[in-house]
Amino acid sequence: MTILPTLKSLTIAAAILASTSVFALAKDVTISVWAGGTGPNDVYRLDAIEIAAQQLQREAALKGEDLKITVEKKPYSAWEDFKQALTLAAEAKTAPNIVVSGHEDIAPWSQSGLIVPIEDYVDLDSWPLNGIYENLLKIASYNGTVYGIPQDAESRPMFFWKPYMKAIGYSDADLDALPQNVQDGKYTMKNLLEDAKKMQDKGLVQPGYGFYPRTSNGPDYWQFYTSFGGTMEEGGKLVFDKAAMTRTYQFFADAVKAGVTKKNHIGMPGDQWWKEVATGKAGIWDGGTWHYARLVNQEGLKDFFGNVIFTLIPAGEGGKANTLTHPLVYLLTAGHSQDDTEIAAQLVKIASEPRTNALHAVKSAHLGISEAESQVDFYSADRWTREATERLLPHANAMPNNSDFGTYWNIMWKNLEASWTGAKAVDAAVGDAESELKSTLGDKIVIR
Amino acid sequence: MKSSRTLGLVMIAPAAIMIVLFFLMPVVLTAVFSMTNMTTATGISGGVYQIAPNSLITLKSVMPEIAAELAEPRYTIDEAGLKAVESLGLAPAIAAELRAKHAGEVFATRREAERMIKDLAERPSTREVKQISEQFNRSVLNTRFDSKEQLFSSLDGLGFKLTPEQKETVAKTTYTGWTWTTDNFSRMTRSPDMARVLFNTVLYVALVLMLFNVGYALLLAIWTHYMPATPASIFRGIWLLPRITPVVIYVMLWKWLAWDSGFISILMGKFGYPPKNYLLDTAYNAWFFVVLINGFIGASMGMLVFSSAMQAIPKSQFYASEVDGASRWQQIRYIILPQMRWPILFVTCYQTLSLLASFNEILLATNGGPGNATEVWALSAYHTALRNYAGNLEYGLGAAMALVLVVIGVMLSLLYLRVFNYRTLVAKPLIED
Repeated sequence: MTILPTLKSLTIAAAILASTSVFALAKDVTISVWAGGTGPNDVYRLDAIEIAAQQLQREAALKGEDLKITVEKKPYSAWEDFKQALTLAAEAKTAPNIVVSGHEDIAPWSQSGLIVPIEDYVDLDSWPLNGIYENLLKIASYNGTVYGIPQDAESRPMFFWKPYMKAIGYSDADLDALPQNVQDGKYTMKNLLEDAKKMQDKGLVQPGYGFYPRTSNGPDYWQFYTSFGGTMEEGGKLVFDKAAMTRTYQFFADAVKAGVTKKNHIGMPGDQWWKEVATGKAGIWDGGTWHYARLVNQEGLKDFFGNVIFTLIPAGEGGKANTLTHPLVYLLTAGHSQDDTEIAAQLVKIASEPRTNALHAVKSAHLGISEAESQVDFYSADRWTREATERLLPHANAMPNNSDFGTYWNIMWKNLEASWTGAKAVDAAVGDAESELKSTLGDKIVIR
Repeated sequence: MKSSRTLGLVMIAPAAIMIVLFFLMPVVLTAVFSMTNMTTATGISGGVYQIAPNSLITLKSVMPEIAAELAEPRYTIDEAGLKAVESLGLAPAIAAELRAKHAGEVFATRREAERMIKDLAERPSTREVKQISEQFNRSVLNTRFDSKEQLFSSLDGLGFKLTPEQKETVAKTTYTGWTWTTDNFSRMTRSPDMARVLFNTVLYVALVLMLFNVGYALLLAIWTHYMPATPASIFRGIWLLPRITPVVIYVMLWKWLAWDSGFISILMGKFGYPPKNYLLDTAYNAWFFVVLINGFIGASMGMLVFSSAMQAIPKSQFYASEVDGASRWQQIRYIILPQMRWPILFVTCYQTLSLLASFNEILLATNGGPGNATEVWALSAYHTALRNYAGNLEYGLGAAMALVLVVIGVMLSLLYLRVFNYRTLVAKPLIED
């Protein structure tokens, strides 16, 4: 009678001991990841981390560790809301482990200590990170330190509605040669406005629909500044080129004056714009490579290549044809335990493998991050990613990673909008921008 | 007596705490933030000292030689570092091989040093490589120091001969956090855009207040005063709808009405007019809609206050005036309006203050456009401090703008009290303390 209970308690004790020893080895980690600008085509920004977690768990199992990773995903469709939420969360020490944002955030966020350098946690010399395009990795760096791993690349082309180009006199051969002509500077911004006007005069598009640019603030507008000869940064200092900025502002003021762009274009509902460019209501417009996915998947433009031709942003007076790459980057936020951050870094590394990253590139029509990715059949078999990579990526610039660039950007945009809508004359807008930049940034910006 | 006073203080304590926490503190904090240059880049919770290439650009113009020296990144395989590696508790072969093959070598970047470490026979893991390379870091470049003292001792340790003044300059240029400043206020006075935003605000408050919140509200109240009770209640109920409709839906309805694919465009299309975006077509249009959108919401409150005030006027006054043969206009002029001074003061004062601070309807309808034409002060402060595409949130400047609103609000309140002669409106109590 006495042996049984003793045996029983011994068994229970052994079971408890055994279970605790298992628990001692088991590691349960929750990694949260937030991504800005994430629509239905961009889900792999978050899902890739989940895929990576599966892989890391298997690797840990082989090493005899019981690692369980739960990935908490949070997409934000708008940028303003996302940046507000992230910065305030980070200040309140409740930031996610991984954040997917524009590379231009690296400078202010690293300076204020919201993010930590990813190079402290991963080996940049090992695959797949050693295969990432060197220029993209440079864009993901600040002060010579690699803070982020590029999550995608993209470019921002100019789109032309083919049937209207034909209707104003372009032959198929002319259209085929258009990308090269733009690249060589033979087709310029002046030609673009002329063609847009022709489309309207012929009644192909309604007034104000000849040139139908982005409807809100965005990196696109720096391409126009580059087109007109502007430089954003030189030797670590921001640059405000008055003549180039005047030509940029003047271009949009002229487009409005000629009636090819609407004065009230900025601020129109995004959905309306998408529907209009997808159905041939607009003649020429600019956008990102990822627009392809939206136009084809959500807006019903089935024969994209039959209807649309894309090129670099043409050269304007004093500048060159260009495009802008605006990679989103995986960043690690501060304020988490070393172990968690290290796991987060490992997940980012695995998510950057060519086949996993290609899922995002193809689904969202962004561009790949490494040479190896362009050799993945799944990626190279896709006409859009292949052509866009070849035509645009070699000519891509990027915005500077400078902690004061956001201030410059706000001032530039505010005055562009004012001159576009006629609230200010072009010269007054440039003058106001100059005086505000001087009073705000002082000698941190070169004005010339 | 004394105990009742103590009891009174205890009773009022919760309210006092609430007032301090939720009413006074935000204003005090706004005032504090407004005297700083806080942005996303400086962070809110203090900064560190970091000798980074971007701060060296500034330092280069002040002390070029020291800046050049500080910029020198060095990873030196020296005895101190080797000893530190030995104490890390890694495989002993690592330190031994480093000492035998690499002692005395200098690497310009961490990546180069780490490549060498990765080539060791006993290949360390990535985490260990990072630990080892850190032991040989003989540069202050990109290192973050929590305090000035740490920065200075590190500079001393690396053999930099700097005078106290030079040290202070280095500290000043390499500080990443926010500093106290009055620049926000001078920026506001210098910026031509701020003057424009201020003008917009005055225009917005004046138009909505005069045309709708007081003017139209009074008209509605008088109108319904002379109506039979049931239609008057129905009428008032309908006018309350804009206020009780969720603001996002309410503004969306206006957008459907005024966008180029909206109701007005479709209607005008029947008469041969091409569709256009009536809401953002011109600055005048935008103002027209902004005033209407806010006015229709604001008018309802004035209407309710004025209606109930009119109900309080003794009916006998109206009967007597009718016996005397007074017209409706004379009743309004000599009976209603003189007795409405207090409600008008209240509505004007309250609505001025809420209009000064309100921007959500404008944010949703025009977002300050076209071309910042409808950007009012509160919206501009919000855009500056909390929401912009470039993500550089300027908390300090935004707080300074908000503080201006607080000051204007307080001044206007005092002005209203004086204009409406507050003392004669409030009768003195007959029984004094």
